[in-house]
Amino acid sequence: MQLFGQILVNGILLGGLYGLMGLGMGLVWGVLKIVNLAHGALIMLGGYALYYLYTKAGIDPFLGLPLAMLAMFVLGYLLQTALLNLIVRAAQLNTLLLTFGLDVVFVYLAQLLFTADFRTINPPYAGKNVSISGVVVPYAQFGAFLVALVLAGLLFLVLEKTRTGRAIRATAQNLTAARLYGVNPKRIYAITFGAGAALAGAAGGLYGIVSQITPYIGVTLTAKSFVIAILGGLDKPLGVIGGGLILGIAEAMAALYLDPTYTDIISFGLLVVVLIARPAQLLGRA
Amino acid sequence: MRPMIIPLLAAALAVSGAASAQDKTITLGAAVQLTGRLANTGRYYGDGYQITVDRINEKGGVTVGGAKYKLALKIYDSQSDTNLGVRQYVQLVAQDKVNFLLGPFSSNDALDDSVIAEKYQVPMVQGGGASTQIFSRGYKYVFGTLPPADDYFASTIKMMGKLSPKPKTVALVAADDSFDVSVANGTRKLLKEAGLELVVDKQFRENNADFSSILSLVKSKDPDVILWAGHEGEALNFIRQAKSLDVNPKLLYSFTVGVPTADFRKALGKDAEYAFGMTPWLPEKELKDDWFGDAVQFDKEYQAKFKYAPDYHAASAAADVETFAKAIAAAGTLDPKKVRDAIASVDFQSLYGHIKFQPNGQISLPQTVIQIQDGKVVPIFAEDFLAKPRYPIAPWSKR
Amino acid sequence: MNRYRWLALPIAAAALAVVPWVTSDTIVQYGINALLVATLAQAWNVIGGFSGYPSFGNSVFYGLGTYGTAIAMAQFHWSFGSGLVFGAVLGVACALLFGIPILRLRGPYFAIATLGLAAVMSAITATVEIAGKNIGLILPLFRGDKLFYELSLILLVAATGTVAWIARSRFGAGLVAIREDEDAAQVMGINTTMYKVAALTVAALFSALAGGIHAYWITFIDPASAFDPSLNVRMVIMTLFGGPGTVLGPVLGAFVLSAVSEVLASQATGVASLFYGFVIVIAVLVMPKGLLDLVQGFRETGWRYFVDNLRRYRI
Repeated sequence: MQLFGQILVNGILLGGLYGLMGLGMGLVWGVLKIVNLAHGALIMLGGYALYYLYTKAGIDPFLGLPLAMLAMFVLGYLLQTALLNLIVRAAQLNTLLLTFGLDVVFVYLAQLLFTADFRTINPPYAGKNVSISGVVVPYAQFGAFLVALVLAGLLFLVLEKTRTGRAIRATAQNLTAARLYGVNPKRIYAITFGAGAALAGAAGGLYGIVSQITPYIGVTLTAKSFVIAILGGLDKPLGVIGGGLILGIAEAMAALYLDPTYTDIISFGLLVVVLIARPAQLLGRA
Repeated sequence: MRPMIIPLLAAALAVSGAASAQDKTITLGAAVQLTGRLANTGRYYGDGYQITVDRINEKGGVTVGGAKYKLALKIYDSQSDTNLGVRQYVQLVAQDKVNFLLGPFSSNDALDDSVIAEKYQVPMVQGGGASTQIFSRGYKYVFGTLPPADDYFASTIKMMGKLSPKPKTVALVAADDSFDVSVANGTRKLLKEAGLELVVDKQFRENNADFSSILSLVKSKDPDVILWAGHEGEALNFIRQAKSLDVNPKLLYSFTVGVPTADFRKALGKDAEYAFGMTPWLPEKELKDDWFGDAVQFDKEYQAKFKYAPDYHAASAAADVETFAKAIAAAGTLDPKKVRDAIASVDFQSLYGHIKFQPNGQISLPQTVIQIQDGKVVPIFAEDFLAKPRYPIAPWSKR
Repeated sequence: MNRYRWLALPIAAAALAVVPWVTSDTIVQYGINALLVATLAQAWNVIGGFSGYPSFGNSVFYGLGTYGTAIAMAQFHWSFGSGLVFGAVLGVACALLFGIPILRLRGPYFAIATLGLAAVMSAITATVEIAGKNIGLILPLFRGDKLFYELSLILLVAATGTVAWIARSRFGAGLVAIREDEDAAQVMGINTTMYKVAALTVAALFSALAGGIHAYWITFIDPASAFDPSLNVRMVIMTLFGGPGTVLGPVLGAFVLSAVSEVLASQATGVASLFYGFVIVIAVLVMPKGLLDLVQGFRETGWRYFVDNLRRYRI
């Protein structure tokens, strides 16, 4: 029974981080209709940003997170303004391809600048943990989980309560009508993509604390983010966190009770099943 | 911009080789992972080949049937893409017309690329693939300087038999790629022979980042020993997650990779302490070499030139080049078949160790058990104890 | 003049057929690779270019074809021909089984679903005993690259011929109608489900056969290389580059891009992937309708063609 409890906790903590990964992708997809194949690369870049903030400037990772997010926001804003805004109205296939090209370029540049060495963000508290009735809760994973919840909550509040957030939702629903109400689509699009990049960057930084960073971690993470974003309903922050939790728990349970080599089958199997079984809810967004 | 240097250097060598018709050259070709997922270890091969070729040339090159030849190197970057690597090997053989082939890193790539060597009947000496699959196809033109995967834990298990308190239960955690499956299969046999009980036997998908379930399972079984087989990135994850989940083997844990490698220890910092591993090579004075003097010299010069410390991958790569130098000289000709036969009967001492291939083409070298103590790699056990192990290893809470 | 234009293609095919006898082994290797990838692009063209359903998981059919042939030859010890058939059967079965539920999705959801399908199949293969799990399978060594080349050429000609027939047929017109306005097509009486599944099955057939040839040629397969995810983007970008929904576009795009990337990989290995990324970005921005459209557009409006494309799709 204790083993079950431990696995459940593991899954939940992992799921929080998963949810954060899906958050940025879902936002960009739901609002901008851009399927960002470079999402994993943005996660990776955010990870490096936090790594260098920690190792070169000595800033504690959890404190440095907002800085890394800011840097990624700027990057995302520029990308949208300079490149992505040019193809927003083309076929969606083109956004897939453009972002794929960007991904290739980012990985190459990362390799050039940072080399292929493994980078870990190892603050002194990284390995510590607290034991609650026999279940071990690691500090770093728990911190990542909390950050994910906070960011999701913040995103939810921004989208619901703030003016910019309402503008973003309006643009997502009906661009023409939003324009009539005075929304500047270029700016809103850039802000949204910037926010998506910032969230990806946060996920990357946290990933560097619990795992390690190389230029090549992006590909698998993009794939996972797809699953999580779709499970959660794209631009619904709380749903995406839920999606992440579902995936995290499912993977943890499958690894123990089935076989650890089945994790990919579970993740992508879930994706395919959800897509096939709930098309009505999603088709409405097509 | 190291990746650029090697093709530029190769191009320069090729140009100079073509320009000076007097300089007879023997060209060795390879497609190595200089960029991409496996670049972290792939670079050891590119650099290892380069430094050895340069040194051999400095010392007069290779004498073939009375004539002096220089060695040339043609390296392509396979970008960690196995399919691209295969095409590059065909290019090396068919278009660049290299004389002989060196290998890539990783058993999966070696498996694919060696097919080209066999197809075109060009001898390949590779130091990056240890999986038994490579050598069980009856190929004649492929040789390997990494010892068999299924023996990797042999010396560790032997050592365990001599430790006090003696371990009884073992958890085996291995990845599911060619090399690690070979390791796991061999280890199960060895454990049975040694009378050790396997309480956890789990396989994980390679490139897996999350070990929390496996670790929690291991913790619940409380084994004396954890034996782990996989790749460096996964080992990093495993150890860090073991720390955060407070999973400790009662007596020791050992890893097939990472422990001998500098950037692994650097990435883990203090968390690398106490970890056991194995290596077929250590920079020791006793390993004499015709070109570098001994392994210590090799280690010094490699570090000076490339700014990072070599490990057994680089030494294995160097041994591959030296094998060709010896075999070609012994054969007295560049004819592939005759050189192939010479390689099969080669027998010499090198900075990497004693080079002699078994009938199936793979070398047989014992693995020395090593442990990380105070950030350094300490050889602990070969046939008997070489140093005192820190045993049992301290649990995370006491470090 | 038009009367003899159709001769150009058989002549081109014949010229390609003699290549192995007049050039080096390297060109043959590159050729096999280019021909197989061109077949994949052409297969994608049927479901993505004509029908407007951009699959990002055609690698699943290629992988099934690869594994089908490999299992048949390595485990059952069948002949190559039977192996190819077995692989094709697996690919087609997958298309029929999953086609109906997945083809209900539109646009990027369909794309992601196919991507997920490919990932699942790859993951499942890595756990199946008879497929050799993650270690893969070893096929018998066959020294006959010329044969593989000719087979690949025949396959490409067959695929292109099929697409040419589709372009002129009612079936093809139906697919285009689905692409342009699926609801209207349905109202007009076209059984869209049947058409779409048929298109996917055709794509699956050719992709699986390409996989089968690849398996015997490479002699060692594992899940990572058989279900190679990078193939998906490559076949899409090649078709897009050449001209989706045309007969020769995918072939052109595949040949040009393969040549570029092979040359880069051998001459300037350091920047090969960087260049590749740039090419994709630029191509999507200034020539989103492909090379054939570029040639025509350039003829009509000159350099303004590129500027117009840049301007047309922005907000």
